[in-house]
Amino acid sequence: MRKEIPVIKVIAACVIGAALAGGATVVATNLATESTATAEPVNETLYNYGDR
Amino acid sequence: MGVVVRLLPWVLGLLIALMALGPALGPGYVLRYDMVFVPGLSLTTVVAGADGFPRAIPSDAVVAALSMFLPGDVVQSLFLTAVFVLGAAGAFRLAVGLLHGTGPVPVVALAGGAVAGLAYTWNPFVAERLLLGQWAALLGYAGLPWVLAAVVRLAFLPASRGLAGLVGALAPAAVGGFSSVVLSALIAGPRALRRWRDAGLVLLALALVSLPWLLPSLTGGAETDPAGVEAFAARADTPFGTVGSLLLLGGVWNSGAVPPGYGEPVTAAARSLVVAVALLGWVWWSWRTRHAVAVGLSVSAGLGLSIALLGTFAPGVLVSLIDLWPGFGPLRDGQLYVAPFALLQALGLSAAVLWSLGVLRGTEWAPSGEIPGLGRIVTAVFLGLAPVMVLPGLLWGAGGRLEPVEYPSAWQEAQAVVSADERPGAVLVLPWSAYRGLEWSGETVVTLDPATKLFDRRTLWNDDLRIGTPDGGAVSVTGEDTRAREVAALLEPAPKTGLPTVDPGESPEVLGSLGVRYVVVSAPVEGEPLFTADGLSVLVEGRDMLLVEVADRYVDAEPEGGHGLVVLASVITLGTFLWSLIIVARIGSSSMGHSGMR
Repeated sequence: MRKEIPVIKVIAACVIGAALAGGATVVATNLATESTATAEPVNETLYNYGDR
Repeated sequence: MGVVVRLLPWVLGLLIALMALGPALGPGYVLRYDMVFVPGLSLTTVVAGADGFPRAIPSDAVVAALSMFLPGDVVQSLFLTAVFVLGAAGAFRLAVGLLHGTGPVPVVALAGGAVAGLAYTWNPFVAERLLLGQWAALLGYAGLPWVLAAVVRLAFLPASRGLAGLVGALAPAAVGGFSSVVLSALIAGPRALRRWRDAGLVLLALALVSLPWLLPSLTGGAETDPAGVEAFAARADTPFGTVGSLLLLGGVWNSGAVPPGYGEPVTAAARSLVVAVALLGWVWWSWRTRHAVAVGLSVSAGLGLSIALLGTFAPGVLVSLIDLWPGFGPLRDGQLYVAPFALLQALGLSAAVLWSLGVLRGTEWAPSGEIPGLGRIVTAVFLGLAPVMVLPGLLWGAGGRLEPVEYPSAWQEAQAVVSADERPGAVLVLPWSAYRGLEWSGETVVTLDPATKLFDRRTLWNDDLRIGTPDGGAVSVTGEDTRAREVAALLEPAPKTGLPTVDPGESPEVLGSLGVRYVVVSAPVEGEPLFTADGLSVLVEGRDMLLVEVADRYVDAEPEGGHGLVVLASVITLGTFLWSLIIVARIGSSSMGHSGMR
C-alpha cells in the first residue's frame, strides 16, 4: 500500500487489467465459435421440447 | 450515497443487459423455446386461462396489461432488460451493504459491488435459462438479492414496514410466477426462520404475491406427471459430471440451451477456477465477519443444490413427493434451484476481489485514502471481469441465438380475422404438438408454437411435452389441460404428423362438437390438402399458417366465462403492492435499500 501512487497510474492499472481480460475473452470466444457443442435441430415435422 | 453512486448499480445492469442481449433488443420478437411474445396479447384470454395449472399467470397477464399501451416487442425488450438491470443492481447493492454496511461508501466497495452485479447476471444459469426462454423465472432470479436484503431488514423494522419492503422486493417473483416464488422462499427461509415473527411475515408476503396462481391451482385439481422427474432432471453439460456442472451453475436438462462453447474442457476448466476463487472468497468473508447472512445464504445454497440433485440421484423421492401432492411438480426442473448458489458465488467473487486489493484487513477496512498497489489493481480488474471471460457464449444475444423476427403477414392476418369475429368458439391449433421449428430468421429455432397465444379466445393445443433422450428415444410428459385431452381422444392425431386421422367428411361435426370455430395449422404441411370437406372454409393461407373456419351450423360453443377467482386474487395482490408502495413512500426510503445490513 502506497499513498503516493498517482491517479493516472491507477487508471492505467485498470486499463491493463481490462485489456488482459478482453484478450482472454477473445481467446475464449474463438474457442466457443469453433465448438460444435450446441447443435441446432434439423428441420422436421414435429419438434421435441428439447433433447437431453 | 451521492446521485452518481446511487445510479451506478443501475447503469452497470443496463450495460450488462446491452452486452448480453445486443440484437435481441432490436425491433421484432425473440422467440425461443418457452419465450413467446405476440402482438396484442389478450388480457381477458390470459386471465380466463385453460383447464389446468395456471402457469401463464401472472407473467402473461402482466405482459398483456402492458401490451395495451406498448407494442409487444417493446414489452419483451423491457422484461429482458429488467432481468439484467434488477439482478445486477440487486447483487451490487447487497454486496456493498454486506461488505461495507452503512455510511459513506468507498470506491473500492463500489468495485466489489460491481463484481457481484456482473457475476450474478453473467453465469451459466442465466445463459441457459435465457436460451431456454424462461424469462419469467429469470425475473424471479433477478429479485433474489432484493428479497434477501428485505428479509435481513425485517429484524430492524416494525412489522408493517418490514412487510411492505418485503412485498416490494417480491414484485419480480410475483410476475415470475410459481418457480420464482419457490426460489424466493428458498432464499428467504433460512434467514427468516431465526425469528418466528420474521418467518410469519415472509410466509404472509409470499402468500399474498402468489394468490393469482395459487388459488386457481389449489381449487382446480391440477395434476403433475411424474414422468417429468426423469425428463427435467439436471444433466452434465461440462466434463465434470452432473454434480460438477451444477456447482458451476450449469446443468440445465435441455442440451439445446447450453451456450456455445460452454461445455468445452478448456472453458469449463476456466469457469471452475473462477468458481473456486468465488467459494474461497465466500469462506474467507464468512469466517471474517461471521455474518448471519453468511449462514443463511449458505444453507439456502446447500438446500438448493440438494433439490437440484434429487432428480438425478434420488428420482424416487421426487416421484413420491409428486404422488403425494402435485404441488411438488416445480421441483422436477432441478437445476433451477442452484439460483441461491449463484448469489453466494457472486458475493464470494466480490469478497475475493476486495481481498486481492488488500482493502479488508481482519475485520476492518483499510484507512480511507490508501491506494492498493498497481499489481493488485490489475489482478482485481482481471478477476472481476472473469465471469465474462469464461462465458463468452452469452455475449451479444448469446452469439446471435436471440435474434428478433417479425410475424409473417399471414399470421397477422389470421389474428385480425379471428379477433374481428365476436361469435364464441375456440381455436384449435394443429399439428398436434406444442413446439415448432420456426425458420423466420433463416435458421430453425425451436419454440413453443406462437399460435397458442396469438388469438383472443380459448385455444386448444397439445400441451404434452416430448423430450428426446440420449439413446435416441423420447419421454412424453403429459400436459395439464383436460380439454386438450378430450380433443386428442376425438381427433386421434397421427403421431408422426400431428394431423387428425378422423374421417375428413365428419371433421366439421367433430370440430363443432368440441366447440371449435377455427382451426389453425401453424406449420408447413406436405401432402393432400387439408380440410376440404363441406362446412370448412379456408380464410387465410400462408406457408406456415392456414386458418380454417368451421361453419356456424356445426359449432356448439358458449361464450367463455371469466375466471372470477383469478380476478379476485389479482385484485388482492395488486392492492397489497399498492399498500406496499404507499408505506415505502411514506417512510421516505426505498424498500430495496441496503441499510441495516450489519
